[in-house]
Amino acid sequence: MKHPFQIVLSDQDGHVFTSVKNEILVFNTDGQRIGHWIDPLDKSVTLKKQQEEKIKQLSEKKLKTNDETPIKIPKIPVPGLGAPPLYNYIRSLSVRNDILVGTTDSDKAVVIFRIDFSNNIGNCLCLIKRQVLPKRPCAVSQNDKVVVVADKFGDVYTVSIDLNEPVEDKALAPILGHVSMLSDVLITTRDDGKSFILTADRDEHIRVTNYPKSYVIKSWLFGHREFILSLVIPEFNRDLLISGGGDNYVLLWNWYDNKLLDQVDIRTLIEPFLNDSHLPPERFLTEDSVKEVTVSNIISYAEYFYVVCENTKCINGFKIDAGDGFKVNHIQTLTTQHSIVDITLDKLKNQLIACFDTEDEHKLLAGFAIADDGLLQQQEQSKALTNISDANECLVESRDDFYPLYYTSTLRKRSDH
Amino acid sequence: MSEVRKHNELGSRRKAYREIQQETRKKAKSTRFQDDSSISKSGSEEPISASELNKNQIELPRKRFYRQRAHSNPFSDHCLDYPTSPDSMEWKNMYPGFYDKERDEMTSQVEIADIGCGYGGLMIKLAPEFPQQLILGMEIRVQVTQYVEDRIIALREQNQHTNGYQNISVLRGNAMKFIPNFFHKGQLQKMFFCFPDPHFKQRKHKARIITNTLLSEYAYVLREGGIVYTITDVEDLHLWMVKHLEAHPMFERLSKEWEQQDKCVEIMYNATEEGQKVTRNKGSKFVACFKRLPTPEDTE
Repeated sequence: MKHPFQIVLSDQDGHVFTSVKNEILVFNTDGQRIGHWIDPLDKSVTLKKQQEEKIKQLSEKKLKTNDETPIKIPKIPVPGLGAPPLYNYIRSLSVRNDILVGTTDSDKAVVIFRIDFSNNIGNCLCLIKRQVLPKRPCAVSQNDKVVVVADKFGDVYTVSIDLNEPVEDKALAPILGHVSMLSDVLITTRDDGKSFILTADRDEHIRVTNYPKSYVIKSWLFGHREFILSLVIPEFNRDLLISGGGDNYVLLWNWYDNKLLDQVDIRTLIEPFLNDSHLPPERFLTEDSVKEVTVSNIISYAEYFYVVCENTKCINGFKIDAGDGFKVNHIQTLTTQHSIVDITLDKLKNQLIACFDTEDEHKLLAGFAIADDGLLQQQEQSKALTNISDANECLVESRDDFYPLYYTSTLRKRSDH
Repeated sequence: MSEVRKHNELGSRRKAYREIQQETRKKAKSTRFQDDSSISKSGSEEPISASELNKNQIELPRKRFYRQRAHSNPFSDHCLDYPTSPDSMEWKNMYPGFYDKERDEMTSQVEIADIGCGYGGLMIKLAPEFPQQLILGMEIRVQVTQYVEDRIIALREQNQHTNGYQNISVLRGNAMKFIPNFFHKGQLQKMFFCFPDPHFKQRKHKARIITNTLLSEYAYVLREGGIVYTITDVEDLHLWMVKHLEAHPMFERLSKEWEQQDKCVEIMYNATEEGQKVTRNKGSKFVACFKRLPTPEDTE
């Protein structure tokens, strides 16, 4: 069986980008593979790095002592039996014009590709920079000049999109930071030319910071009670922001004026789709534990937006009513065949493309047409999507070999001290 | 063996003492944060003044029963009580003397914050110097916070005739994570960082209270012209704080002459428990103060 796609992404021209484990695949509108990249580094990279560090330390020590005997080369550390499993996969992807950006696990790097769509036969992806970061990157955003990366330690860095050599990771200085793991980041420019960075963290905070003078904080948007996972600025009004995560609701903001416009309940809509996997981990399970809702994806399309909750078989559609002080109305709950791992908007064909958590290797993706009134309808599987499914060559023995597709429950705070 | 028993006994005595104190404290304060579901009825619960609870004169708490190890991990998810936003913060139960019942509003707001206030010595000395300004201490260690709370309850009780110490209060919190939940943009006039945890190890430097990235948050809650006070007995940490504050575009170092004429510097030098310990041990103290510069015009 095949490992499901973990990421699906589309650009304004209908190209589809997918990722499975440490591999990135690019497809044209017919679903023909036009580009691919496999991370050449494996998971032992960090361990080898540790070994190098040790050797360096030992040789420095030796220099001081004037000892003549050669230093003993330490072994590459081997993780113990109880050590958490090591995964090596692409955690996030972002595309803008002809620049594709991903983040790798192996060496905690940001990888920047230039895409040459005219290269129809060979490989359209050309790696132009691999910038290693001090901590694991969690989310990326980009404008024409820079990639903005948010990491697990709460810091945000910029990496310029150019051919210059990457900077030594220790020499990088964060442009801003939270004291909390970051979950999403957006860089946006308003019509007046001013740019801002929006960051979301595990401590319920959404922060709006000036850019490039990122030492001046504009505001915090207060309204979430749980971790935040997803920030989306709708294209029809770039002062709006939709946010969701571990809360039972999704919030609509005017981020520029720091105004909460509306709050939509997700829990009632999603309740029938919850199962035992949504209960807290066993260690925290009590008799009155409730199933936990996590908004994992928000996709914006014109004045509509679509919400996917982690490990559920449905998509909820909403409409933002601009005339009514920006109130949000629920328009649809569409049941899907399988749980959705990731979802994207294909603007060319006016459809949503979802990657499914399924063992059916020809149907790893599904398309949902968006009608003029914003309603979704599942389509017969197109040739293009079948082609993309078939291009996934990542074989596994069983579901147990899947990389974790749902992992956000660790973000929820369950501390008792 | 007897050492262990002695230790345990002492531990349980401390605990018992703190439990009694907790009862008194509980009665002296009611819920601090506004419960969103009951906005309409908020205000109905009047904090009972300490004198009504306990006819006997409240004694100052004894520090030895509240000792706690000097370090706390600022990254961990402590069970913290913090408001969802500065607007939902209920200051009236913390500063009942500055609450106008009729208008249902505070007559003054917190403008001085002592971040990592420890046992509260600085606030207690600052209180009479700034009688009309509210001073808040934030401390991450539970028992130390309780000590300061009990100390303030007792001081208010003992100084009822002058209405003293109504302008200081303390709360347990993680300032590094949640400072924007408590204060509005530009609300603070002074922030004190006295004898912070030095976090010597290089990999722990992000746990320091002064970092490049956190300074932007302090600049946010401070008003233009507001002051950051730092003092430490660890020279490395002093140099680190100075380096980062000097490098930050929103702060400018104040001169030695300025330090000499400022009464807060003098209080900070002598009043804190840590500072007195350093004096007893004949250690050095390093002071650096910084002014919050105007926000650049092309930013918001």
